[in-house]
Amino acid sequence: MNFRNEPILELRRAPVRESLLAALRDLDARLPLDFGGDGATFESTDPGMPDRVVAVASRASEADAAAAVEAAERGFREWSSRSAASRAEVLRGAAAQLRERRLELAALQVRECAKPWPEADGDVCEAIDFLEYYASQAAALEGGPGLIQVPGERNAMRYAPRGVAAVIAPWNFPLAIPCGMTAAALATGNAAILKPAEQSPASAGALVEALHAAGVPADALSLLCGFGEVGAALVRDPRVHVIAFTGSAPVGLEIVRASAETPEGQPHVKRVVAEMGGKNCVIVDADADLDEAVPEIVYSAFGYAGQKCSAAARVLVHEAIAETLLERLAGAVEVLRVGQAEEFATEVPPVIEREAQERVMRYRELAGPHLAAEAQPVPERGWFAPPTLAAGLPEDSPVNREEIFGPLLSVTTVRDLDEAVEIVDSLPFALTGGLFSRSPATVERIAARLPVGNLYVNRGITGAMVGRQPFGGNRRSGIGSKAGGPDYLLQFVEPRVVTENTMRHGIPVE
Amino acid sequence: MVGERSLPAVEAEVQEVGRSIHGAFPQRTRHPLRALDQKAMELASQDQELRAALFRFVDVTPACRNLDDLARHLTDYLDEVEGRPPPIAAAMRMSGTKPGRAALGAAAAAGVRHMAHRFIVGETPKAALKAIRHLWEHGAAVSLDLLGEATVTQAEADRYAARCMDALETLAEAAPRWPDRPALEADSLGPLPRVNLSVKVSALSPLLRPEAPEIGRDDAARRMHPLLVRAKELGAHLHIDMESVDTLEATMELVFDMLDSPELHDGPSTGVVMQAYLRESPDQLERVIAWARESGRRPPLVVRLVKGAYWDHEVVEARQHGWTPPVFEQKADSDRNFEALSRRLLEAWPHVRPAIASHNLRSVAHAVAANREAGREDRDLELQVLRGLGDDLAAALADLDMRVRIYCPVGDMVAGMAYLVRRLLENTSNESFLGDQQRGVPIEELLAAP
Repeated sequence: MNFRNEPILELRRAPVRESLLAALRDLDARLPLDFGGDGATFESTDPGMPDRVVAVASRASEADAAAAVEAAERGFREWSSRSAASRAEVLRGAAAQLRERRLELAALQVRECAKPWPEADGDVCEAIDFLEYYASQAAALEGGPGLIQVPGERNAMRYAPRGVAAVIAPWNFPLAIPCGMTAAALATGNAAILKPAEQSPASAGALVEALHAAGVPADALSLLCGFGEVGAALVRDPRVHVIAFTGSAPVGLEIVRASAETPEGQPHVKRVVAEMGGKNCVIVDADADLDEAVPEIVYSAFGYAGQKCSAAARVLVHEAIAETLLERLAGAVEVLRVGQAEEFATEVPPVIEREAQERVMRYRELAGPHLAAEAQPVPERGWFAPPTLAAGLPEDSPVNREEIFGPLLSVTTVRDLDEAVEIVDSLPFALTGGLFSRSPATVERIAARLPVGNLYVNRGITGAMVGRQPFGGNRRSGIGSKAGGPDYLLQFVEPRVVTENTMRHGIPVE
Repeated sequence: MVGERSLPAVEAEVQEVGRSIHGAFPQRTRHPLRALDQKAMELASQDQELRAALFRFVDVTPACRNLDDLARHLTDYLDEVEGRPPPIAAAMRMSGTKPGRAALGAAAAAGVRHMAHRFIVGETPKAALKAIRHLWEHGAAVSLDLLGEATVTQAEADRYAARCMDALETLAEAAPRWPDRPALEADSLGPLPRVNLSVKVSALSPLLRPEAPEIGRDDAARRMHPLLVRAKELGAHLHIDMESVDTLEATMELVFDMLDSPELHDGPSTGVVMQAYLRESPDQLERVIAWARESGRRPPLVVRLVKGAYWDHEVVEARQHGWTPPVFEQKADSDRNFEALSRRLLEAWPHVRPAIASHNLRSVAHAVAANREAGREDRDLELQVLRGLGDDLAAALADLDMRVRIYCPVGDMVAGMAYLVRRLLENTSNESFLGDQQRGVPIEELLAAP
């Protein structure tokens, strides 16, 4: 396969940074963006400056959802009849559109989701990667796998699209994740209905624009901006075949439950692809290189204010170096730059909304006497939450067990790595994990025992790259599929086998 | 113009200078211990897997808790080496029992410490004074480099700055008692400080970010400024090292900002580094020369020209991100650029003082020849080498009355050694001059134009 990752911008070069600031100025002059229609609308706002409206979007109703499914059924007939190669060309065209607009799209994330530049740019690149990667994968998949052939019969297996896919996407990777799920559905010949998070309609709108402009028929792809009830209506709809979801565990589990229903008139069983939360642990062995471990852990925990499902939530450190690590981590947390996403110096931007801010502050309260370090003060305007390090919390503290999805990192000292593995094993999540060790034997032993979907050794635990780190969790973190990996598209197709007798009256006609 | 026009004439001079330096190299037999080291490095330089194993071991040594732990790590790494030479096979056999591991761990720890003594001049500036004086007496000046952990907190940056201050004070207190060495103490532009300290910007601030250079620059500046002021008072030289491209912009801007301040207009003597492996280095050098010309600051800025020690980092980072590597990927391109930049530097004299830092016989000979060709005295060119790697070259250059300075790491023998692994990597790479020398490459080849 001829895939290579879209190169990220070289932000260490001043002219590159200047080009992004110029794109942001252009965008600001056009705000608010209009994704509205005739009916009800809602707004997305800048988390760093909540009175700045970024986009006005149509607020879809349950009736809109039903209409979108009906259109998708029509669109499916035409779209699924095309060859995988021709669909791949359309997706590559959409990738080209995003590439063309990448500065603007990064700026949009800075505003709509308070995503700092390096991560906003990374997100746009990942969206492009998904389009290119799944286009190639789908073309390769079309021929089907080889089967055993014996004289007198011909066996063929091929993969057919399932039908209508509902894509329910989060705001934290506002372009890449909706793009990945939508591209996978479309590449394999399904029709798709994208329901983005209500916090980031504009990024999703830009994606759908690009796909339509590249040649995806209007009926084969529609955008339904809105709130939870629209997603729920799609999940319930008996004409929907696949639900691709990325978001929190409670919502994901509800989707798994609801989609298991097979009401009268629904001939198929729905397929759910769900990527949910994490409580990701980084294990630090006594022989770890702390010069590397400290910055990598800090970035994994506090990059984008901890709002990545892959973010580090806990550090499990060997007692022999716990004191040193904690001291250095504390110092590194104290110098974190909290600020607006548009400033290149910002390492920790505001969280997405007031609710998120309140949630983080609640967990901070729970960590109370165990607070080890924080970066204060934070700006008053905007949904800022101070980056916080806690240490020595009891194992059963909610801070240690629940997904916080914010800038709070908890450090726990362990006697040895076996205890660390036991802690990881006791958590309901199994998304990402980290291990810092300079012993090849330890790395091998621990890697074999950790249940996580993505284990990172001697590096940060976020930033999975399409094609390089197929991404997805186990347990309550996901149903085991790997986005950006070689088997992801299989979730969106149904296998069909045709066996033909090639004997005619004892004579092989082949 | 020192450049193109005089090239053929310079070439003859390059060959002659190169041969005289080569002829002045100390004989191996005079240094039995060093010969043993060379043997070990030769072994490592021939086998990439073994080299990787040994470097990983040196790297982890400070983090090992006891001899057993040391031995386990060592055998863990050696286990990944295929086709073990006999000493390695013996080590693996020893590791089967606890007493065996203790013995192996002790031997390995002793090995690392022994090696550290070759590369690290002392654990502290005070402890290094004797060795520094010894070098001075034998015709080589030094620049001290303080080894330490990466700076990730403000406290660590403060500690590094305090160590720098201590190094300045300690050297300044001792240096007046050193004997006269006129060849090292002045060039035709004026006196040269006896005290010389190299500092790393990344160690002076935990805030260096490639995408926001001004934050780290400002934070480092508030620690750099007192060092410059004190260096001026003490008549010392402060050299600002260059690291990877990620900190390049912050470093350059920091230097210009600091030195532009009026109170530092007439001192201290300071220096910057240009890395010839960078594709953009010719432009950078022009920028530095233009600044030096315009600012009229005295004494003139010292520009140390190096090949660059972060080649692997730069290439790997670029490849992972889909960028064109900022460095030349062919050694010959770096070497050619090194010569071009050498000529450009010499041409810019007296606005800058050139310092050529290389262990490549050809590069050194070329700079000496080009300097002579330009009608300058040998003392108007500084030649620099690394402690532990360029000692023989330094001895040869001192023997020929060239002005030579040895860049001397100071720090913990065990932890410091881990920080030096990068330089070891450079040394044992197949293309290095020292490796060539060991393999008996003919002088014609060593001196061939790149």
